[in-house]
Amino acid sequence: MTSGIRTAVARLAGQYGMLLVLAVLCLFFAWATYHEESPTGQAGAELLAEWVAHETPKGEVVVIVTPTGAEGDEFAAHLTSALTHEGVTIGAALQGDPPTVRKALEALPAKGQHVPLIATTGDCRNWSLWDALQQSNSAFAATKILAPGSVRRSTFLTASNLRNIADQTAVIAIIAVGMTMVIITGGIDLSVGSLLALSAVLTAWLIQRAGGERANGVALLGSCLVAIVLCGVVGGFMGWLTARLKVPPFIVTLAGMQIASGMAFIVSHGQSLYDIPASFTWLGRGTTLFALPNAVVLMVAIYLVAHLFMTRTALGRTLYAVGGNMEASRLSGVSIRKTLVLVYVVSALMAGIGGVITVSQLKAGAPIYGVMYEMYVIAAVVVGGTSLTGGQGRVFGTLIGAFVIAVIRNGMNLMDVEPYTQKVLLGVVILGAVLIDISRQRRSKHTA
Amino acid sequence: MLGCFYFLLSEAAEWWDRGILHNVTSVITIFSAEERKVQRRLSVLASLILAGAIFGCNQSPSPEAKKGDATTSPTPKAEVKQKGVIGVSLLTMANPFFKVMGDAMQAAGGKIDFTVNISAGEMDAARQKDQVNDFIAKKVTAIVLSPVDSRSIGTSILEANKAGIPVFTADIGCLDPVAKVVSHIATDNYGGGRLAGEALVKAIGGKGTVAIITHPEVESVILRAKGFKEVIAKYPDIKIVAELPGGGQRDASFKTAQDILEKHPDLNGIFAINDPSALGAVAAIEKAGKIGTIKVVGFDGMPEAKQAIKAGKIYADIVQYPEKIGEMTIQAVGRFMAGETVPAKTLIPAGTYLKSDADKDASLK
Repeated sequence: MTSGIRTAVARLAGQYGMLLVLAVLCLFFAWATYHEESPTGQAGAELLAEWVAHETPKGEVVVIVTPTGAEGDEFAAHLTSALTHEGVTIGAALQGDPPTVRKALEALPAKGQHVPLIATTGDCRNWSLWDALQQSNSAFAATKILAPGSVRRSTFLTASNLRNIADQTAVIAIIAVGMTMVIITGGIDLSVGSLLALSAVLTAWLIQRAGGERANGVALLGSCLVAIVLCGVVGGFMGWLTARLKVPPFIVTLAGMQIASGMAFIVSHGQSLYDIPASFTWLGRGTTLFALPNAVVLMVAIYLVAHLFMTRTALGRTLYAVGGNMEASRLSGVSIRKTLVLVYVVSALMAGIGGVITVSQLKAGAPIYGVMYEMYVIAAVVVGGTSLTGGQGRVFGTLIGAFVIAVIRNGMNLMDVEPYTQKVLLGVVILGAVLIDISRQRRSKHTA
Repeated sequence: MLGCFYFLLSEAAEWWDRGILHNVTSVITIFSAEERKVQRRLSVLASLILAGAIFGCNQSPSPEAKKGDATTSPTPKAEVKQKGVIGVSLLTMANPFFKVMGDAMQAAGGKIDFTVNISAGEMDAARQKDQVNDFIAKKVTAIVLSPVDSRSIGTSILEANKAGIPVFTADIGCLDPVAKVVSHIATDNYGGGRLAGEALVKAIGGKGTVAIITHPEVESVILRAKGFKEVIAKYPDIKIVAELPGGGQRDASFKTAQDILEKHPDLNGIFAINDPSALGAVAAIEKAGKIGTIKVVGFDGMPEAKQAIKAGKIYADIVQYPEKIGEMTIQAVGRFMAGETVPAKTLIPAGTYLKSDADKDASLK
């Protein structure tokens, strides 16, 4: 029993060693972005209210200043109720950007209001407005400006940033599903980036034709489906050329990359198409399940289906057979032509879906989308443990690979790594991650 | 290139798996050592690379880590030296124009106690969206953008608006009517076009025929051509005989200029809407043996074009000042955060660069 568990763990570690790398990366970035910050929301407001009540002289009032935006609204509401609870009179509640706040504040002494104390958020406290105001206006020289004290927090580990990462991975990860299948059959698909652009432009163009900003739901769905299916047709053609005429996939998809990109520029006249209803951003920006962006939910669903297909269906197993030994599979009666056409169609469909999501996220479709995506996608697949020589690989490995790359990128942005250095580091870290994975896989092979 | 790299990598892994490397013991003795030792060393090496890579980039600790006091109790913050972080995402760092702009931003930020973080969308609208999202997650004080796509950036700016972070645009504007941008700082392309017109009028002595090599897909170019044509229209003795696209590229402009010279052998001047176009036109003029007879006016101020002005191949260049755009953008952020109102749009005048300037230019050999 225990040895069974141990074997299972060893197998899991061997198969998903990259998961460990991902965990290490997350831990590192969580530590590296750990810093002091003012608490926000209810906790911050209550902390501040207590302090303000203590500092406010008898008979004096307090002025609340918050920035625009949802966080500012929430803080203002909680602070107001907490201060009222403490019995502090609120002289004025101001909200806005620095110039607005300054104008409103400077109007107060003119109205005869004395401002001994200003309560604000931690972000606002950092505005250079306060120094400028106190130096230039004698009415504020003695004003105390209070914000909640600091708590320690990791920017990387905040819920909004983790959602951010999932959101940033979605498109690459979805395209990588198709790429994984293609690579398992021993092929490669360089056209995915251009197909993404083509799909994005087609979607936006069709929506424009269907009424632009006034297009209804059916028209929107129809536009997306047509764009995705057209991409699938292009993919099918490339698969057919590879399977039937035995043209190397590298060449076929390199040509496909040029053709699809050119078509995207032709359809859009090189411009970005933006006449898209706001409701269309539901897919890329909206959330339904557990506050997860819908694109992420779609990504998870696609991975589940792809995993079941690759592991539980005969057709799925055929991909491995074709990639492992094409001649042997042909002799054992597998239709290689059908299999190859299928994987290129799936890859193109995924790129098509990626294009639709991108349009939804950016509310515009432009032929310049998807540049270099084939490289990011191939990187995700390879980091995920799929062998470029074919016959080996797992769909969930690819998902982890995509996340490794997204986490590195996000983490470096949060740590303010300079852009030229980011490129070098991304390459080095991917190399390091793959080296770790190779050594772990070899070790697990020996222990098993 | 990246693809080749991955391919090689996986090939090497594959070889290693097959044990081929083990046969090369005479070359690399490490592989003849005991299996496990090699593996252990390898994982140590890999971890070191990983750790080194990540630590290497953490040389400049974030300013947040330094300021503020460590206590969680509500104590007043000590005098804040750093005024905040400005997140910048430019079009591309591969173009020297934006590199100069970014460096100027960093220098200007240092002067007014802001930390400026530069990143670049590298022509990828989705990547720029990710960068803006990361800025929002980081709660930067302000965001400065040179959009990759003036339309696609709209949704990202809206997100920043929702989070209450002010957004500024530099050099390239946002065309989304809903997104709120505090201030846009850019070159006065229309004024630059007028300067180009005046320079070319002077070069050809107020009469003759001229041609424009244009690139009407870009809004700034449309403005340049408009300014140019308005000046020429004031001179009845000057006629614009051709206005043809050169794609803003050297090779395409070379061909366009050849066609123009073929049809108008007596041409007196050419206005090229950017320096690559101007250099393409110069190549065509050189081939036709008409250097000096046909005057060329370019736009941008690239070093190679300045060199051509010094050599007398281009008459004048209308120069933009990326360092001024960068500096003024950061100053606008500083003034805005201090509560001053900033204009919604600031246009920085372009300048005319002539042979006399090139002769004095220390940057040219």
